[in-house]
Amino acid sequence: MTDVNASVSPAGNRPADKQPRPFSAEDEVALRESLKRCSSATLEAALKFLKTGDVEPLPTVVIGVIERFVDPDLRPKLQEGNDELRLIEDLGIDSLTMMEIVILVEETLRMTINNDELRNLRTVGDIKVFIDCKARGLPPPQPAKFLPIEQIAAVMPIQPPFLFLNEASISSTHASAKYKITGEEFFLKGHFKNNPVLPASIMLEALGQLAVLYLLEGFEPTEAGKVVNAEQIFFTGCEGVRAHRVCRPGDVLSLSIRPKRAKMPLATFEGAIRVGQEKTAIAEEITLTFGLKDAPAPAAAPEAEASAASGGAGGAAPASVVAPASPATTGTTSSSSPTA
Amino acid sequence: MAGRVFITGLGLITSIGNDVPSVTAALRELRHGIQLYPPFAGDDVPVKVAAPVRGFDTASNDPEDWTYPDAYRIRREVIRGMAPHGLYAWCAMQQAITDAGLGEADFANNPDTGLYAASGGSPQLMGYMLGRMHQLGVMRCSPLGIVAAISGTLNFNLVAHFKIKGASCGFSSACASSAHALGYAYDDLVLGRAKRMFVVGAEDGNVDSILPFAGMRALSLQRDPALASRPFDAARDGFVGTGGAAVLVLETEDEVQRRGAPVYGEVAAWGQASDGHNVAISHPEGEGLALAMRRALQAAQLAPGDVDYINAHATSTPIGDLSEVRAIKSVFAGSGEEGGAGGRSPASPAISSTKALTGHGLSLAGAMESAFCALALREGFLPGSAHIAQLDPECAGLRILRKTVAEPPRVVLNNSSGFGGANVSVVLKRA
Repeated sequence: MTDVNASVSPAGNRPADKQPRPFSAEDEVALRESLKRCSSATLEAALKFLKTGDVEPLPTVVIGVIERFVDPDLRPKLQEGNDELRLIEDLGIDSLTMMEIVILVEETLRMTINNDELRNLRTVGDIKVFIDCKARGLPPPQPAKFLPIEQIAAVMPIQPPFLFLNEASISSTHASAKYKITGEEFFLKGHFKNNPVLPASIMLEALGQLAVLYLLEGFEPTEAGKVVNAEQIFFTGCEGVRAHRVCRPGDVLSLSIRPKRAKMPLATFEGAIRVGQEKTAIAEEITLTFGLKDAPAPAAAPEAEASAASGGAGGAAPASVVAPASPATTGTTSSSSPTA
Repeated sequence: MAGRVFITGLGLITSIGNDVPSVTAALRELRHGIQLYPPFAGDDVPVKVAAPVRGFDTASNDPEDWTYPDAYRIRREVIRGMAPHGLYAWCAMQQAITDAGLGEADFANNPDTGLYAASGGSPQLMGYMLGRMHQLGVMRCSPLGIVAAISGTLNFNLVAHFKIKGASCGFSSACASSAHALGYAYDDLVLGRAKRMFVVGAEDGNVDSILPFAGMRALSLQRDPALASRPFDAARDGFVGTGGAAVLVLETEDEVQRRGAPVYGEVAAWGQASDGHNVAISHPEGEGLALAMRRALQAAQLAPGDVDYINAHATSTPIGDLSEVRAIKSVFAGSGEEGGAGGRSPASPAISSTKALTGHGLSLAGAMESAFCALALREGFLPGSAHIAQLDPECAGLRILRKTVAEPPRVVLNNSSGFGGANVSVVLKRA
């Protein structure tokens, strides 16, 4: 594990145009200068990656670089290890600061990041996964899709005043959402008398709604030419539901679900709710039934289903899942797709 | 009838002091801010002295490395897009706001408050950014390199950070720049376009902003800090570079009354004219500057005899000082003739160049010296022209003050001249 490049690319996946020079003593001096305002853990992690090619320390590097640019008052948030922290809303990072972060990451990890690769990085987790893929020479995962309330309401069969998602972020493997308890919810008048508390059943409902949104926006059926029919999604069952915290007007619920199994006609999810960093509720399993319908006019994009892919930290063997999407010979991650 | 405009606040980061009291004391005691400047120590640098601001270290290209007095605290998001002179000006703005007694609502998000600024940009950061671009590639330029370096960096930063909603822009007429900023700010107030204007002049005052003047032989090669800047002296040999920032708060009469704000003095009028002569050399007879002074006095409805004091532009260059001397003689009729006791005409106002103390602040000069004039008006003294051992014979007949005197002036002129022969004269009056 001492030599630099040999061990980096397990299956020759490193992009062809990137054969970094061996890491020299001068490079180390420059690196120390670049990272002088980062934690020593950041520097050590970067050195380990550059000297051994081991990608395991990359999240430490990424967090360390972000931390260096975040207002000191907000830094403790980063230490909580919450991958759903949003760069703009939670960490106050504006687009110029984002560029400063990118340039320092580029310098540190000796990689090049294109503008169009950045556009969909909204959370700390997005960045970690993205950098992990870059370092492994893999194409970055399909970015999470962000849906503001207007878009959510446009696709959901459930509508206000019974829609409990304000904004959501959907990827093929995960969905997260926020809901702020306004105090105006009609049921709070009676739940409880003179003491408004969000019913636990509504928490479960909100997780279920996020699962519905995932089926509509994040899930791609294996059946060719079909999409999930919004009118045929129903609740089937749930297991292992526990509430840990009383939620009142003003609280912002951070909802998160992950598909465990999804195959017509059943989809099973695990779900969790936090308020800030406080564990609020979990559901070990929420199961929905769903039906399919013909996809609208232009055929659905012929993408390989990435159901298990790209979790980054999970680590199993994402290479084999994702690799077919881009022929290893031509290599570079973003060169040939004319999607812009 | 034109409205009146008053100076209600000052902020100063200068080579002779980083606040109003210490600058006032330096002007009274003729204490200069010039030193053997360590960055000029190399054998290949014939220039040895400069007048840097004290209490700040902005040598690094990375603003996060900079140090500054404890009285100020600046967040990373604010300082990251600044040049060194942006930092000086940010601090001077804080002083001026406090000095004028402005509440946040008086300036922040207030459409009646504007800001005019002048600086030469940051040669240091521009050089650094271009070096990085050529060395590391186009995409590795700091994303804030441009707004920190180019001419205009001063107004970009201050307007954003102080939430200025009224008029804003930068002025670029070299050493007349911040005098222009003051003049146009005055106009906006008189025309009712604003109720309050910040006027800001600033310069980095470091190796990259000063030394390029060596090539045109404009810098003094003196090694003695007490001799290097000596406007009107027969042996003057060039100017001494300085940096820093000066901020003036100008307000309309209505605002002054509404706020009950104490004032330093009144901006009575200003005038400008150009030499149309040479890109870098002033007109030998000071034609443009003479016309600028005449226009300023005419606009103020004053006669030359009403002027008690002129803060001259005189930078201590052989040619420039001479042009100004001739311009003054032509305006203040009779002052060129021998007369009265002491060989000077009674028509000559008192004259000094405070650049003997501060060095020459380039774009900073006009605002800084107008601030000095405001101090002279409020405190009732005339700052002397230091370091004159032997007066240039051409100055005969002019009342060049060799010492600070306790004469309260009623009317003062502040002259500024820049490259291309841009000349500005500002008239200030005791309130």
